[in-house]
Amino acid sequence: MKKKMTLAEKREARWAYLFVAPTMIGLIVLNFYPIFNTVYQSFCKTGDFGKGNIFVGLANYQAVLSAGETWQSLWNTIKYALIEVPFGIVIALILAVLLNKKIGGRSIYRTIFFLPMVCAPAAVAMVWKWLYNTQFGLLNNVFHANISWISDPKIAWISIGIIGVWSIIGYNMVLFISGLQEIPGDYYEAASIDGASGLRQFFSITVPLLSPTTFFIVQTRIIGALTIFDLMFMVMDKTNVALPKVQSIVYLFYQYSFTNGNKGYGATIVMVLLAFIMILTWILQQVEKKAVYHA
Amino acid sequence: MKKRLLAAMLAGTMVLSLAACGGGSSSSSGGSDASGGDAAPAASGDTLQVNIWDNNQLAGLQQIADEWSAESGIKVQINVVDWDNYWTLLEAGASGGQMPDVFWMHSNTAQMYMENDLLLPLDDYIAADDAIDLDNYYEGIVDLYNRDDNGVQYALPKDHDTIALLYNKAIFDKYGVDYPTDDWTWEDLRDAAAKITEAGAADGIYGYAINSSNNQDGWYNIIYDYGAQVITDDHKGTTIGSAEGKAGMEMLRQILEVSAPQTTVAETGTDSLFNSGLCAMITQGSWMINTFYTNENSANYAWAMLPYADVNGNGQCDAGERYSAYNGLGWAASASTANPDACYSLISYFCSEKGQKEQAQLGVTMGGMKGISEDFANAFEGMDVSAFVRAEEEGDLFFRPYTRNTTVWEDALQQNGAFLDAWLNPSDPAVMATACDNAQTIIENAIAAE
Repeated sequence: MKKKMTLAEKREARWAYLFVAPTMIGLIVLNFYPIFNTVYQSFCKTGDFGKGNIFVGLANYQAVLSAGETWQSLWNTIKYALIEVPFGIVIALILAVLLNKKIGGRSIYRTIFFLPMVCAPAAVAMVWKWLYNTQFGLLNNVFHANISWISDPKIAWISIGIIGVWSIIGYNMVLFISGLQEIPGDYYEAASIDGASGLRQFFSITVPLLSPTTFFIVQTRIIGALTIFDLMFMVMDKTNVALPKVQSIVYLFYQYSFTNGNKGYGATIVMVLLAFIMILTWILQQVEKKAVYHA
Repeated sequence: MKKRLLAAMLAGTMVLSLAACGGGSSSSSGGSDASGGDAAPAASGDTLQVNIWDNNQLAGLQQIADEWSAESGIKVQINVVDWDNYWTLLEAGASGGQMPDVFWMHSNTAQMYMENDLLLPLDDYIAADDAIDLDNYYEGIVDLYNRDDNGVQYALPKDHDTIALLYNKAIFDKYGVDYPTDDWTWEDLRDAAAKITEAGAADGIYGYAINSSNNQDGWYNIIYDYGAQVITDDHKGTTIGSAEGKAGMEMLRQILEVSAPQTTVAETGTDSLFNSGLCAMITQGSWMINTFYTNENSANYAWAMLPYADVNGNGQCDAGERYSAYNGLGWAASASTANPDACYSLISYFCSEKGQKEQAQLGVTMGGMKGISEDFANAFEGMDVSAFVRAEEEGDLFFRPYTRNTTVWEDALQQNGAFLDAWLNPSDPAVMATACDNAQTIIENAIAAE
């Protein structure tokens, strides 16, 4: 039962379209076109320079899904996310609560913790690469150890995860601080009068009232962590023995699409990742209904 | 429900915008910004855009290009884009029709670019040009840039490179080991490396260092010395898994046993180890001379020819027992350039005898033209780099192995399931033999998929 637009409304609508056009055109050219192109390419044996694609149906999917390295890389990515997301959030939350109090030098601390976000990721990775270096690295020299931080397949994934946590804490913290400032002070006052301890206040007031922010961070960070690429690429050499146990699925995509020039296979890897993230997002949405406290 | 759908869509968008770079015709230009080179679209009329990947060569090439500009009145803007981004950018430019006017070609990718008609055919220009006679250049490089199915020449040889053994005299003196000579066999290298690695264990000094990625400047050469080929002459097969190939790699395995461990060279890099005084010997290509020439310890550095393999056991180096890999870049122009005549004129200037000599005298690289290597050997005052020239005069050369899609198998050979396994277990001959068999399969499969 739509009402017909009046002339004035029509004129207004025209202007509205004009104003959203730049964004829409940007989205279509930069996001939607590549999305459909990627889907199309995943069904093709791609030719050089985007010419001469041959439709091969599901052959790429067959190859990708039956390759052990696909699943290994997906598992590596999940392992990375299992470090980055929980630790990045818990540490950031603690810092945010502390830095939300009125303490001296608060803004200096906030700046320091946020600094990793400002640095170029490639530069961050290069610094960590040398910190971790077995022979000359600062870590081994300070602790007089001889640990192959990034060459031992058993611990390399943790080393990479630590860089990820360190890089993301500041960003999560800023989001948490803004969330904390939305919680009215009255609740804490009332709780104090009732004799609740600081810890009790944190778990009974801060955590539930902060849950929408927490959930937002969890969701965006999971997706961010699953698409990790630059850390592995910058820190680990191609001939690093631990690489197969650390390389992420996007790293695998880069390897096939750009180094080997097999764009169809690369596109298929991305489609697998997409399917995985879609399923995960759906699960998260279900969890949100139960776990998030909407005031 | 709507919200859930939206969230899923958003998630999808985030993932797939990653693939945006993968989209055939969308360009990924991030690389050019990062490296400072701006590959602007072709020909604003009086400026030619030239792309190269080696910053070491920029000053010398710009000097030669400026001389050409003085004659032709056309400016030349040389942009340096680092190796990895160079190819990403060039491919994006090729797909989107915005290539630089003149640029370097390499054996890894040349066939792909030629077959897709992305390069300017040079035959007519060469025929009309007195300064260029293809017979004066290294045949392997001329052939490389000549398309098989129609015989058209798409690039002129810019340079060539060879491999030599670099050693640190200070370390040899410290442990009382004799310097490498041109008469060394690979066994001699192994024995010297063993002595230094053993004596230097307390100081963390190694006799020799080589990674599985040091192929052209490392283990490829041993394979050819022992009579096998990484890629056969017709570019359709390999003999890496043959008895000869295995014999060569077995020799290398014995060297690996007394060299820096693989985890060390993967983290630190053989050139960093050497420049830090922690490694007595490495093998290196002539394109790297400047890195070592400009090092603060360069007075201790010296070069010898690569060791040879005394296959027939007569105690001297015979023909076919000492090989050095060589490779040559080509100067090519874009097929879609607005100013093809100027492009060719610049290429011809670079590749003429005058340009080639100047390139060698400035220490940029050895020439793509034959007979001017002496000029290059004299370019580094205080450092004797004549080993690179002797490698071609006294030894044999083989062209850097390539097929249509070289990177696929070249990368696979360095990693798990191929030679990385052997690098990690140098004490076990069986692992190396298996790695050779695996390498044979990898290369054959890769060629079959091309």
